[in-house]
Amino acid sequence: MNGRSPILQLHNLTKTFGSFTAVKGISLDISEGEFFTIVGPSGSGKTTLLRMLTGMESATSGDILLRGARINDLPANKRPTCMVFQSLALFPHRTVGQNIEFSQKIKGVEPAKRKARALQLMAQLRLPENYYDKSVTKCSGGERQRVALARALAYDPDILFFDEPLSAIDYKLRKTLEKELKDIHRETGKTFIYITHSLEEAMVMSDRIGVMRSGQLVQVGSPQQIYSSPGTKFVSEFIGDVNVIGVRATATTGVHAAEFGVDFVTQPVPAGFGEGHLVVRPESLRFLGSRSEAQNCLEGRVYNEYVLGSRIQYQVRVGEHVFIVEKLRQQAFAGSLDDQVLIGWDAKDSILVTD
Amino acid sequence: MTTLGKIFGPGTRHAVPLIVFLLIGFAAPLLAVIGFSFIPARTFELWQSWSLDNYIEIFNSTSYLSFLWSLGLAAITVLILAIICYPIAYGLARVFGKYSTLVTLLFTIPLFVSENVRLYGWVLFFIKNGVLLGTLKAWFGIEPDSWLFTSGIIVFGMVYVYLPFMLFPMTLGVSMVPDQTRDAAFDLGATRWQVFKEVELPLSMPGIMIGFLLSFVLAVGAIAEAKVLGGQQIIPISHDIEIAFTYAQNWPLGAALAVLLMLVVGTLVLFVLRRFDLDAILGRR
Amino acid sequence: MNSFKQSRRNFMQNSALMAAAFATTGVAGLRQAFADRSKELNILCWEGYNSAQVLDPFRESSGATVKAESLTNDPTMINRLRAGETNVWDLINVNNPWARKIMFPEKLIRPLDRAAMEPYFAKMAPDFKPPYKWAMDDSGEQLIGMAQRYGPYSFVVNTDKVSRATAEDQGWDLWNDPKNDKKYGILESDDWNVFNLCCIAGFDPFREHTPEEVTKFTETAKRVFKGAKVVGDIATMNQALVSGEIDFHMTGGTYSASPARADGAANIRAITPNKGPMEGGKGGISWIEITSVVNNPDVSPLAVQFLQYVQDPKVAHTVAFAEGTFNPVAQMGNPECFSLFTKEELDAIQYDSLEEEMARSVEYDIVPDYDKLLDIMTAAKREASGG
Repeated sequence: MNGRSPILQLHNLTKTFGSFTAVKGISLDISEGEFFTIVGPSGSGKTTLLRMLTGMESATSGDILLRGARINDLPANKRPTCMVFQSLALFPHRTVGQNIEFSQKIKGVEPAKRKARALQLMAQLRLPENYYDKSVTKCSGGERQRVALARALAYDPDILFFDEPLSAIDYKLRKTLEKELKDIHRETGKTFIYITHSLEEAMVMSDRIGVMRSGQLVQVGSPQQIYSSPGTKFVSEFIGDVNVIGVRATATTGVHAAEFGVDFVTQPVPAGFGEGHLVVRPESLRFLGSRSEAQNCLEGRVYNEYVLGSRIQYQVRVGEHVFIVEKLRQQAFAGSLDDQVLIGWDAKDSILVTD
Repeated sequence: MTTLGKIFGPGTRHAVPLIVFLLIGFAAPLLAVIGFSFIPARTFELWQSWSLDNYIEIFNSTSYLSFLWSLGLAAITVLILAIICYPIAYGLARVFGKYSTLVTLLFTIPLFVSENVRLYGWVLFFIKNGVLLGTLKAWFGIEPDSWLFTSGIIVFGMVYVYLPFMLFPMTLGVSMVPDQTRDAAFDLGATRWQVFKEVELPLSMPGIMIGFLLSFVLAVGAIAEAKVLGGQQIIPISHDIEIAFTYAQNWPLGAALAVLLMLVVGTLVLFVLRRFDLDAILGRR
Repeated sequence: MNSFKQSRRNFMQNSALMAAAFATTGVAGLRQAFADRSKELNILCWEGYNSAQVLDPFRESSGATVKAESLTNDPTMINRLRAGETNVWDLINVNNPWARKIMFPEKLIRPLDRAAMEPYFAKMAPDFKPPYKWAMDDSGEQLIGMAQRYGPYSFVVNTDKVSRATAEDQGWDLWNDPKNDKKYGILESDDWNVFNLCCIAGFDPFREHTPEEVTKFTETAKRVFKGAKVVGDIATMNQALVSGEIDFHMTGGTYSASPARADGAANIRAITPNKGPMEGGKGGISWIEITSVVNNPDVSPLAVQFLQYVQDPKVAHTVAFAEGTFNPVAQMGNPECFSLFTKEELDAIQYDSLEEEMARSVEYDIVPDYDKLLDIMTAAKREASGG
């Protein structure tokens, strides 16, 4: 993806509703052909941002540039972009074929041509050909997803937007569709901009992820960067279960945790880092035979265990502080509940984040 | 458990009082009217030799004029209502926001006043030297012809009286169109008009159809507008039926007219319902 | 009136019984047939007698429950008695011919005590001196009802548009003048409309009609309804006259014009034509109400008492000006009653010309081929639609 020219550029994009600022001065470049996902909890402004990008909402200030041209004032029906809605927003009074052909019918494409295109898209999206005349209301959840995607693709947009289209789908099907979507992205080579509240979903599909909080982009990076170097406690917690300890920098590779009255060895402390948090992933924690087995160590009590398929999570309490330790099943903890244990981790797994 | 209980399930048994009530209150009078339409003119005994004489009499008379007037006036009323009500319904469902309740109230409150009283109010408004023409004369010195007692004013009265019956189902219909579906069409390149034609209109059709049918069926039975505002310049079919049942004391003729009216309206409604299958519109089939 | 067949009687009897059984009429009730009727009285009448002004004093003095139902159509009221409601009603108040020609021969009403009631006629206006024709049976032996309200009933004009003299002179030809197209209204009152259309067509309504006359009637009905600006009730006619929508209207008299006159519209005036096609060249038609005791098997003793009560000068005055319409009463022949009328009241009922107008009018009667003419008129009205 690197080195490609930006297709979409946002400069200080802001949207206010009365005294409430939904989107605060976002600047961002998205490259041609990129799969970019915006992740954030509900109310973080991601939907408002998307509506501005599609043209359904006007920006209060700032610029939206599409291939260098300012498109702020271009209405949705004039933009070469298209959105797959959260509700899918299929036309219930139309068949699968009619839904897919909608944009072409609007453009005045002749029926035979648009039917050919629809059938082609249906084949690409693994929709049976005889679904062409089927009512969309008769389709299953997954089929409807595909129809919605086909309908958007038929518009042949430069950018395809997705507003959490998978949020209402059960886990197993969602996992399948996530992968399918990534495949479609590859096949079409189009720019996908996706919003979701699930970082896990974002990780699966995206080239880059932007994490949003309170109307601002707090971190932008590849899934790997977001995962391994979350910049803030918010981002780190957003990824999933993590262990967070309040710390203060004391050396170039050391911090002091007032809660436990001990020092920990870490990766090099970033310049200017004073007070902050030490984040340790559950899978980075391990049970120790002795304190010397890891660079950092705490003593606690096994409170509970949770079997998560191939992995097992343990809740270990150090005083009042709850730690999550995650092991593969093969490396299960041999002792029993209420055992006193030592848990430890190394400096390389000590991630320092700010608030 | 009684034999009855064995034959019918609990649901049926509990529905019995309602069924009996409906049979007595709804079906029986209807059947009586149908029965009466077959007995000799100006008689009152149901169990005698039945014949089609009343119907033959109607087909040989000029009653068709009244039917045509009623159907025509109702059709015009419904068309005008559709044009007037759609923007209001759209506003109520999507634009007025918190003022919707107020606007709805404005359209509802007059329903608490008897139709005749409201129509007499319009008589005072439109009559020569009345509110409208009197004011025009006093302020501007112009004296246009009175509009009262014309067919135009009858249509006005019908539009006025039946407006809520078109407006509210229509509002429901318009509010049934999901915002995202509308946005999606727009996003797919449709113009404002195309969004209306391709998405909003078909999706609000159930409400619109119910409004059409409701106001049409009511308007076909309209009588007060032609009597009060129209000064009986037009005799709609319901007035003909009323005359047969009252002054003429010819119940069988009135009954036959009523049966024919039911047939005509019923056929029209069925035709429309077949043409615009509500389930199909909603994609349920 | 070939319509009054045995079959109708049976049907209506049944429906009346049903209605009574369901106690939905508000007045009727089977129990009345067996109950003590000394404290209740049921009256079937034209509007006015059902007003609180008339009934309340009687209720107070007698302590009785008095119910009155008002209808505005004679045949309908009589049909209800024929339908078996004779055991519901005690008094019936209809226009003149029905008691003598129909109800008494059909034994729907019962005779009154002549000696007790005839003295009241002696105190009435001269026309009602006993034995008064419409209050007597055909034989002239039996007194079958009491007279009270009456009046001429031909047509009404706005004298600002058509002078009284012109109207009286032209009479029914007002409707034969094409210049008057859309200048007149028709007060909806089907039997009277039929009478008036006969007059306009130039023949006497109160007899069998020749096919030529029926043809003439048909043409006249079509033309007159086509030319009408408005057809409606009394309030509509008066409003249309006062506002200037119409200049005059067919069917009407003191009964319909008096409310407008009482409201100060002195230019609204009931007219009786100077001449016309009726017996003796008369052009007007008048009505006289006769109130009779119903042939109720369990008639209330209060029935006769009520008839005497309304003869009282004060009550008679109240009846004349009961709510709705205002009318002359026969008791005005008694100075004691007459003195109760103010100048305005006399003016409202056009007392100045009452006597001469009555003299120029024939009395309401039954049209033998009414059903046929009514059907023709109904069709004419329909065919005039939109015209």
